[in-house]
Amino acid sequence: MLASILAQVPWQAPSIDYHAIAPEIVLAAGIVLIILVDLFVGESKKWVTASLTGFVLLGALIPVLTLAVSDPDARSLFDGRYVIDEYALTLKALFLIAGYVVVLLSQNHVEEGDYYQGEYYTLLLTSLTGMVMMASSRDLVSIFVALEFLSIPAYMLAAWRKRDRKSNEAGVKYYLLGVFASAVMLYGMSLLYGVTGSTLLSEIGRQITVDGDFGGVHALAIVFVVVGFAFKVSAVPFHTWAPDTYEGAPTPVTAFLSVASKAAGFVALVTILYVGVPQAKDVWQPFLWVLAALTMTVGNLLALRQSNIVRMLAYSSISQGGFILMPLAVAGTGDAAGPALQAVVVYLLVYAAMNLGMFAVVIAAARTTRSGEISSFGGLFSYAPGLGVLMTIFLASLAGIPPLGGWIAKFAAFRAVLEAGNGWAYGIAVIGAVNSVIAFGYYGNVMREVWMKPAPNGETRAVATPTSLVAALTITGAATLLLGVLPGTVLRFGDLADLVGAFGR
Amino acid sequence: MTLLATTPTTTWYLVLGAVLFGIGAVGVLVRRNPLVMFMCIELMLNAVNLSFVALAKRLGDIGGQTTVFFVMVVAAAEVVVGLGIIVSIMRRRPGATADDIAELKG
Amino acid sequence: MSDFLRSYLTVFWFGLAALLLASLLLGIAVLVRPSRPNREKLLTYESGVDPVGDGWSQSQIRYYVFALLFVIFDVEAVFIFPWATQLERYGTFGLVEMGVFVGVLLLGLVYAWRKGVLRWV
Repeated sequence: MLASILAQVPWQAPSIDYHAIAPEIVLAAGIVLIILVDLFVGESKKWVTASLTGFVLLGALIPVLTLAVSDPDARSLFDGRYVIDEYALTLKALFLIAGYVVVLLSQNHVEEGDYYQGEYYTLLLTSLTGMVMMASSRDLVSIFVALEFLSIPAYMLAAWRKRDRKSNEAGVKYYLLGVFASAVMLYGMSLLYGVTGSTLLSEIGRQITVDGDFGGVHALAIVFVVVGFAFKVSAVPFHTWAPDTYEGAPTPVTAFLSVASKAAGFVALVTILYVGVPQAKDVWQPFLWVLAALTMTVGNLLALRQSNIVRMLAYSSISQGGFILMPLAVAGTGDAAGPALQAVVVYLLVYAAMNLGMFAVVIAAARTTRSGEISSFGGLFSYAPGLGVLMTIFLASLAGIPPLGGWIAKFAAFRAVLEAGNGWAYGIAVIGAVNSVIAFGYYGNVMREVWMKPAPNGETRAVATPTSLVAALTITGAATLLLGVLPGTVLRFGDLADLVGAFGR
Repeated sequence: MTLLATTPTTTWYLVLGAVLFGIGAVGVLVRRNPLVMFMCIELMLNAVNLSFVALAKRLGDIGGQTTVFFVMVVAAAEVVVGLGIIVSIMRRRPGATADDIAELKG
Repeated sequence: MSDFLRSYLTVFWFGLAALLLASLLLGIAVLVRPSRPNREKLLTYESGVDPVGDGWSQSQIRYYVFALLFVIFDVEAVFIFPWATQLERYGTFGLVEMGVFVGVLLLGLVYAWRKGVLRWV
């Protein structure tokens, strides 16, 4: 049957806009190069792979920049299945820079831990390639492939410390729940394909309308797809893997998962909601509303009672995810679509900067304290003033104190919600506001340790921070401060008209 | 003989796919052996494949069938990674069930 | 009866014929041959190796790595077969694309080779 269908279609080679997919090509070539280099250099020279990874990521950033300045029109490849517009470019840049910071964070960690360096960076790059692809995907199949491309290496990275029970456990939990989620999502996709006859998101968007024969299957399909991504972005009640995986995985990998992997989940969710099923907003809005409210509240309440800093950051990142979901829960109401998209993108940018920064501080401080307990950070300011100040900045930004980046992100999210202006919107805004206050509890607790408590065991020698960590701290610290001081720039990044049109008002 | 007199329609395959998906999903949630949970997930993926192929046949569209190729390849990659992780945990703790894997909680 | 089931009738007849043929041949053999059983003859035949242990014995962990490597070729085949049936129409473009694809897969094999996985220790 396959052959008979194929025979009827005249075939012609697709014309490929090589400039448009240059970032992906650079990344793919980089992966091949790093595997080969890793295979044919001696054990003492393995550090080359880390530097090469950094260069590849910066190299991939060049075509992203040239594409951004070349022409304002969106470039569409493969019949609209792969689109490079401002939205895609902004997020590609985010993924590449976040990836670069993660490489900086990993460098000493991986080298000193004697982990498999070449493989580590290969997998990191592969996962990033998937994310970069995700930003452009506008088709169920390419979204699925990009999602697996970024997830499968991440499962391995989570279980990286092979001989450590916790890391093993982190890997198994992440893997089983991740694959389960993608199976659920795929089933939703197959139903979506069945009712619309296409895997192309824009075509699905045309087919699914509320007034047509919208039935239970449509609703089920959309709910299944959203559930699949809810796992990926660790929304409550699909968050159970996140704290365990974050604690068990090596800390740079945790930083990577909690920022880049989560952002990729949101990117796919936004693409599907905005391009694929905007007209079915009556189905997904209440669902996302409940998810957002639960995610913010449960994440915060559990973060309050953690004593391990990585675990606390895990729950805090769950709750931050709730704040990103918040504007999406009202995205279809009134004129909220544009501001909601802006809020999500701005939040992702800011969150990446401040959360990576927070993990960088934890990694740098843990080189001395050798512990993940919050109490072990006591008196950090007295013996490492730089780290103490930076940690305070990142914590304040995560809590949303002006004039830092986190404040702008929260501001954008609340503005989008109030734009919608109905009962649902005010409800979620109140829940969000209450949660912002609760969050001060645990962020403030860490600050108190850093500034007021004495150092445990009378630890007073200065912390030697390696150059790569200093670079990571500089990038993230500068970004957190600048995004807060110059809100115009970041809000400009989130000003994306490309995707909003499909709501068709 | 009424059952024998009917030709299977797409619906049959879709129902079969839904049933398989349900069995797989229940299996993941109920069973406690990581390897069996993993097999149940594979069952779910194959249920998805079945519905994709059935729908592609009904719609007369090649898209659904090509999707299945991608799902199969991704499933193969997942098997490799999953077996690697599960074997590494089993080597450390033979006979571990999902309930024993509770080093991390709270 | 529907056409669909009628086409399965062939399968049914074929299976029946196979069953009859096999039982006929074995039945004649049972009637014709002398029967002198001893301990060796009653052992389960297992490709020339003495049967040891029960059926649930564990197999060598070494095989597992090869099972994983098998996936490289498995994936290759899934894409190469449909591609090969249409290669003439795809022309140079198709050839180059598949070359890149197989090249990347080969990289996996090269990796396994350099890591010494292919050697039977």
